[in-house]
Amino acid sequence: MDQTLGNFIKALRNSEVRVSSMEAVDAHHVVDLVGYRDRDMLKNSLALVLPKTPEEKAIYDYTFDRFFEFRKLDEQGADQLDDTFSAENIVPSLSDELGEGAMGEGGGGGGQGCAVQGGGEGEGIPDITDAVETADKNTELQLSSLSRMLLSGDRNALALAMAEAGDAVGVRNIRIFTQKGLFSRRIMEHMGLKALNNDVNSLKKKANPDTKELAERLRKGRNYLMQQVRDYVEQQFMLHADVDGSQLREEVLSQVRLTNIERRDFRQVQIMVHKMAKRLIALHSRRRKIYNRGQLDIRKTMAKNHAYDGVPFDVRWKAVKVDRPKVIAICDVSGSVATVANFMLMFLYSLNEVMPNVRSFAFSARLGEVTDLFAEGNVEDAMTKTLHEWGQGSTDYGQSLNDFADIALNDIDSRTTVIMLGDARSNYGDPGSEIMKKIYDRAKWVMWLNPEEKNTWNYADSVMRKFTPYCHQVQVCNSLFHLERIVSSVLRSAS
Amino acid sequence: MTVAKTSFDTDGRMDSIDKIHAGFEELGYITSAQIATSIYLARHLAKPLLVEGPPGVGKTELAVATAKFLDLPLVRMQCYEGLDESKALYEWKYGKQLLYTQILRETLGEVLQGAKGLGESMDRLHQFSDVFFSEQFVEERPLLKALRAESGSVLLIDELDKADQEFEAFLLELLSDYQITIPEIGTVKAKVPPVVFLTSNNTRELSDALKRRCLHLYIPFPGTELENKIIAARVPDVSETLRKELVAFVQELRSQDLKKLPAVSETIDWARTLVLLHATTLSQDMVRDTLNVILKFQDDIETVEAELTTLTNEALKSASLPAGAS
Ligand SMILES: Nc1ncnc2c1ncn2[C@@H]1O[C@H](COP(=O)(O)OP(=O)(O)OP(=O)(O)O)[C@@H](O)[C@H]1O
Ligand SMILES: [Mg+2]
Repeated sequence: MDQTLGNFIKALRNSEVRVSSMEAVDAHHVVDLVGYRDRDMLKNSLALVLPKTPEEKAIYDYTFDRFFEFRKLDEQGADQLDDTFSAENIVPSLSDELGEGAMGEGGGGGGQGCAVQGGGEGEGIPDITDAVETADKNTELQLSSLSRMLLSGDRNALALAMAEAGDAVGVRNIRIFTQKGLFSRRIMEHMGLKALNNDVNSLKKKANPDTKELAERLRKGRNYLMQQVRDYVEQQFMLHADVDGSQLREEVLSQVRLTNIERRDFRQVQIMVHKMAKRLIALHSRRRKIYNRGQLDIRKTMAKNHAYDGVPFDVRWKAVKVDRPKVIAICDVSGSVATVANFMLMFLYSLNEVMPNVRSFAFSARLGEVTDLFAEGNVEDAMTKTLHEWGQGSTDYGQSLNDFADIALNDIDSRTTVIMLGDARSNYGDPGSEIMKKIYDRAKWVMWLNPEEKNTWNYADSVMRKFTPYCHQVQVCNSLFHLERIVSSVLRSAS
Repeated sequence: MTVAKTSFDTDGRMDSIDKIHAGFEELGYITSAQIATSIYLARHLAKPLLVEGPPGVGKTELAVATAKFLDLPLVRMQCYEGLDESKALYEWKYGKQLLYTQILRETLGEVLQGAKGLGESMDRLHQFSDVFFSEQFVEERPLLKALRAESGSVLLIDELDKADQEFEAFLLELLSDYQITIPEIGTVKAKVPPVVFLTSNNTRELSDALKRRCLHLYIPFPGTELENKIIAARVPDVSETLRKELVAFVQELRSQDLKKLPAVSETIDWARTLVLLHATTLSQDMVRDTLNVILKFQDDIETVEAELTTLTNEALKSASLPAGAS
């Protein structure tokens, strides 16, 4: 079995592309047929056997590009190469060469020893042959071993050091994507980042132009190393995050604060939100089906079966009237609350199928309705527009609640669930709690979601305590885990 | 690894992606790298190709072009709700059977003559009736036809999502070994497995089992460059300027929020219409007058009319940019 392909499939499964064993076999046939040499060809070919929905294809594209780092070869080099997988040809990233399993086996018949990605254009290790000697000659500086390694340009040594550091910090235990930054930093630190930084700084201070140049080379080397480490960690993540994704999900859900999620991971979180929504929809529909089969409709059954001498062939059930929840979401979109609002609205609108009546309002200084923006479907656009329109200025709960009352207070009735999302920080202004009371009096249920941890509520300009009496429920909400639980409870309360 | 190779590819026209690309282009079908690769793999792995994508992006046409490319007969099966084996595989020619029973009434009498008792009569009748359920009375439907094609065929099972799930299950069996058993006649096995295309517009999810068995190609709306090539191939009369402009306009439309986005087929129709109107460049009036060629819903037409100036200007602008800069 081809180790590289096996690892790639594992990485796909980790990214929740379903790959059956039959499809894995097909993938091997594909590789037998097209080989690793032509990367586009390989990508287009595997795209036909592994991912089987448009969504999976998007994930596949992303994963493939990350997994197979392509190293541009000069033509001659390519000709001499064996057609089968070769570390010189496609470097399937460090993990394959350095990761546990593959280490020592030379990963799938490919590279002997350690091949580190050449880095393509311009970002490789600066070509320094006798830089170390220069350093020794010109300075009384004792360069750290990492600096020396970087200056020597010995990629194999670097790769080994990186793998050792990876082992030492337990990169194998990486489970969730938000840990990537953390592990990259730990590996860098373990390899001697601090000493390296010291070297760069003290070299820079020297007047000697040679040393200055050396500092510059070291700085470039450091960037190169960072890139390598990041790639390495990425690979480790793909290899080691748990295969069925459940643990991954659980941990993401319980651990990550939405405000800490980096921009570039948004898409991944979005996918998760959609998945959660789908599951909730399924759950909810099942629940409804069970309710639907509630009661035998005697009258209809009798009438219907009159023709059969009253023998009940055709049993009729009473249909249960399903109450579709009416939800009003009022979101603080200032500062850090915006991210949470983003995901919550995304979530609510993904539930359109079972919860079609969501109205949403956004505010910081003033409040406005944004239902139409979100109902259109493109949540990212909607959020950008919302932020642009309503996310400016200093937060004013009093004014915003007043605005809300003008627009929609009268629409709240005993079937309405009101979700208020905000940190209740009103810059010491009037919080408008009397309007909150009016909402409370009319609505079926009012819940306040606060992205801050409980112990900071009521601290400084937070006025949670003024709102709490007018809520049926107050809750910390800053992770997907919270969101899922809350949204699920909204759904349930309505059915 | 051994793959069951189909025997029609003796002249090597399926040797490489490039050959496929060039060959299809000659036939007027422009392939993206992904599409060309799918044809290559379908042939070399001898697997059915499931093609999904929005309406009018060339799913059906791909199968048609493949048949031409391979010089094989195209056997097309259009799916619909309620499609069953008798419509897809074979049926007995009831009419012919009835007719023959009339004609053979005399013979029947002879057959039964001298039969002792009911038991023997029945036996003889039975033997006799076997004749009616034999080869001559089989009405071939597409699937059987495809299996029996002497030198192979291209089998297009179009819009599978319209058929019921049971039919899908039945198909799955057929696709696993390209053979089928007709109780009265025996097993029919394809001498040369057909090249199979299945298409779906995704009105419902096809089963995982089916998807597992197939190569899966998703054809999205084409990008600017590809669509330009398609139009150039399909409507050679259109001037380069106009072509670029109208393609740019359609591309623009596809990013709008419309009920139904215009497909390649609409772009082609539009190009033809504009040529008939002797247009050389896109003008707002021209677009307004012909919007109904690209948009099928009145709502959509109204939406676009409201934005016509902007959209036309944008299209003219991006069409005038050098290729690649979009
Ligand atoms: N790549 C292409 N090259 C040349 N012509 C194309 C291409 N793609 C689409 N066309 C043309 O577009 C028109 C529509 O194609 P076709 O009927 O195959 O679409 P389809 O995907 O099967 O649509 P539907 O889902 O509605 O059945 C045809 O006239 C076809 O010739
Ligand atoms: Mg079609």
